[in-house]
Amino acid sequence: MASIDLRSVSKLYPNGSYGVRDVDLRIENGEFVIFLGPSGCGKSTTLRMIAGLESISAGDLLIGERNMNRVAPRDRNVAVVFQSYALYPHMSVRANMGFGLKMRGASVQDIASKTEAAASLLGLSHLLDRKPAALSGGQRQRVALGRAIVREPDVFLLDEPLSNLDAQLRAEMRLELVKLHRRLGRTTIHVTHDQVEAMTMGDRICIMRDGQLIQAGRPLDVYADPVNLFVARFLASPAMNLLPMRLKDESGVLVIEGSDGFRFTMPQRHAAAYAARAGTTVILGLRPEDIYEAPQGARTQPFDLAVTAVEALGAEIIVLGTVGGGMEKPMEVTARLSRHAHVQVGETVRLHADLLPAHLFDPQSEQAIARPSIRGAA
Amino acid sequence: MNAETEKPPLGRRLALHVGLIAACLAIVLPLLWVLRVSFIPPQQSYSTDLLPGFSTENYQALLSGRFGRSYLNSIVVSLGSVLLALPFAAMTGYAFARFSTGGRFARFLMLATQMLPPVALVLPSFTLLKGLALTNSLTGLIIVYAAVNLPFLTWILMGFFKAIPVDLEWAALTDGATAWGAFWRIVLPVSLPGLAAAGVLGFILSWNEFLFALVLSGPSTQTIPVALAALQTSNGVQIGSVAAGVVLAVLPLVIASRFIQRFIVEGLTYGSVK
Ligand SMILES: Nc1ncnc2c1ncn2[C@@H]1O[C@H](COP(=O)(O)OP(=O)(O)OP(=O)(O)O)[C@@H](O)[C@H]1O
Ligand SMILES: [Mg+2]
Repeated sequence: MASIDLRSVSKLYPNGSYGVRDVDLRIENGEFVIFLGPSGCGKSTTLRMIAGLESISAGDLLIGERNMNRVAPRDRNVAVVFQSYALYPHMSVRANMGFGLKMRGASVQDIASKTEAAASLLGLSHLLDRKPAALSGGQRQRVALGRAIVREPDVFLLDEPLSNLDAQLRAEMRLELVKLHRRLGRTTIHVTHDQVEAMTMGDRICIMRDGQLIQAGRPLDVYADPVNLFVARFLASPAMNLLPMRLKDESGVLVIEGSDGFRFTMPQRHAAAYAARAGTTVILGLRPEDIYEAPQGARTQPFDLAVTAVEALGAEIIVLGTVGGGMEKPMEVTARLSRHAHVQVGETVRLHADLLPAHLFDPQSEQAIARPSIRGAA
Repeated sequence: MNAETEKPPLGRRLALHVGLIAACLAIVLPLLWVLRVSFIPPQQSYSTDLLPGFSTENYQALLSGRFGRSYLNSIVVSLGSVLLALPFAAMTGYAFARFSTGGRFARFLMLATQMLPPVALVLPSFTLLKGLALTNSLTGLIIVYAAVNLPFLTWILMGFFKAIPVDLEWAALTDGATAWGAFWRIVLPVSLPGLAAAGVLGFILSWNEFLFALVLSGPSTQTIPVALAALQTSNGVQIGSVAAGVVLAVLPLVIASRFIQRFIVEGLTYGSVK
């Protein structure tokens, strides 16, 4: 019973700068939400306000439909994993994890059994009697996670809880967290810088910048239809190709053109939405995985890429190159090809782009030019 | 080139060491001289021989008089005032460190009390204690020392509390602790080295204090500095006894300074944060 409702919430710091500005967001009970955004965009500040550790300068915060603006942290039943872990240095791992239960008056047996259960889930059983100083960074992070888990709170606020783990442990813990969420069904906010965590863990991602919420939605929806250049650039790696090009109406057919040889016909499906922009410069947003080494039927259109770098990642190949050799400043294009593609630095290859999932952005406002989504419609 | 920077020329090294040794001797020699005087018979106190004789006569004479009592008084007053002042200093220091309690003005006021010469406070203190019938009593001295040392201890502890990451308290608050609980269960234990350091400093300040003790104490409540001064009688300075008294007075400070080093070196947060 713990939905979270942020209604025009702002945080104005005493030094006059905004940590968070006018954030409107409703998180349903049991939802798993990802906060994603560059450093300093206000993710931690938002979590701190939800936890009651930072006052709310303007707006309202509701947890479980109850206004929480002036409720003390301990009465919110929220658990936080801090970016800095914030383990109690003078207590053993066991005491660290049991502290919340102890504060809430749980019995000694209860504390012991829950602490041990959480410790075994997180692979910390053999470390229970150590002090935090005697742990590695990854172990400390797991203790911090354990301290939140044992309390079974209404809301989990996880501030980059996996940032300090090695790749394998991170993948394991990612699954553990998702499983845990499925089992306990608690409302969870998870802050991350990791693309995989962002795309796979949550029901929704919220992308923030400069204290503002830019876009919130299901991960694949945000991925498919970014609202502006910032989101287009920020989500996914390698990032979307963003290419300034001219949109033209050539006797009823919409064409987008960079330079000789680098031009495409816009898909018929989007023609209506984009027709009004004919004759202007727009930015074409083309994801690297929408470029193929072989034609995909009528959907794709060919272009030539002068390859400047090749990164073979095993499962796939990332190819960097330039298009439009005739221009004084050739444009960089990144393509994501299957591992079977044969590409070498220095050669020019013919690749095939699928323009149907692509977006056009307004170069001035940086907003996506509205068009019907192709998701769901097949 | 590396070798050159590692080892300056012999002449410079010699000069450096001679200088350092001279500086050390300037500090240590008087202390060694006091130690020597305290252990030679009082008749030969002014002898120029290196060690004209050995006796514990000075110590016996000193301890058979009122000095033993003064020693005890000093311990009671110094410990008592520290134990009284520390809780207040801790709470005030925490309020200053974490909250904007009192603003700049309160902070300035606290420092301002340290700028007054102690003489200015002696008479008002005397009048106050007289009204409370606490002159001539250890209790009175304890209260005055606690009050006089409070701003200094508060300032020191404020520094320690500021250095504790606020995340620790936030974690405690979300874990269900009250603000007081976070202070008591997390902040205080974590700043134990700081509390100990402040305690030792407060102890030393009270231990060495002379002016207030002179005015506020009577014959039975004398502290060591007053007792030592009293050895300068009208028939001359009893140099042997004074030396023995100084040695005894310095002893606890030597021990205390060992502790203070250990606590400060132990560090503040034991690696709680990344
Ligand atoms: N106590 C403070 N006083 C003034 N400004 C602050 C304070 N705390 C944070 N800020 C500012 O608020 C903004 C948001 O900070 P916040 O810590 O929420 O960022 P974040 O999104 O968590 O970043 P990161 O990914 O680096 O953790 C930043 O610009 C920061 O400088
Ligand atoms: Mg942060």
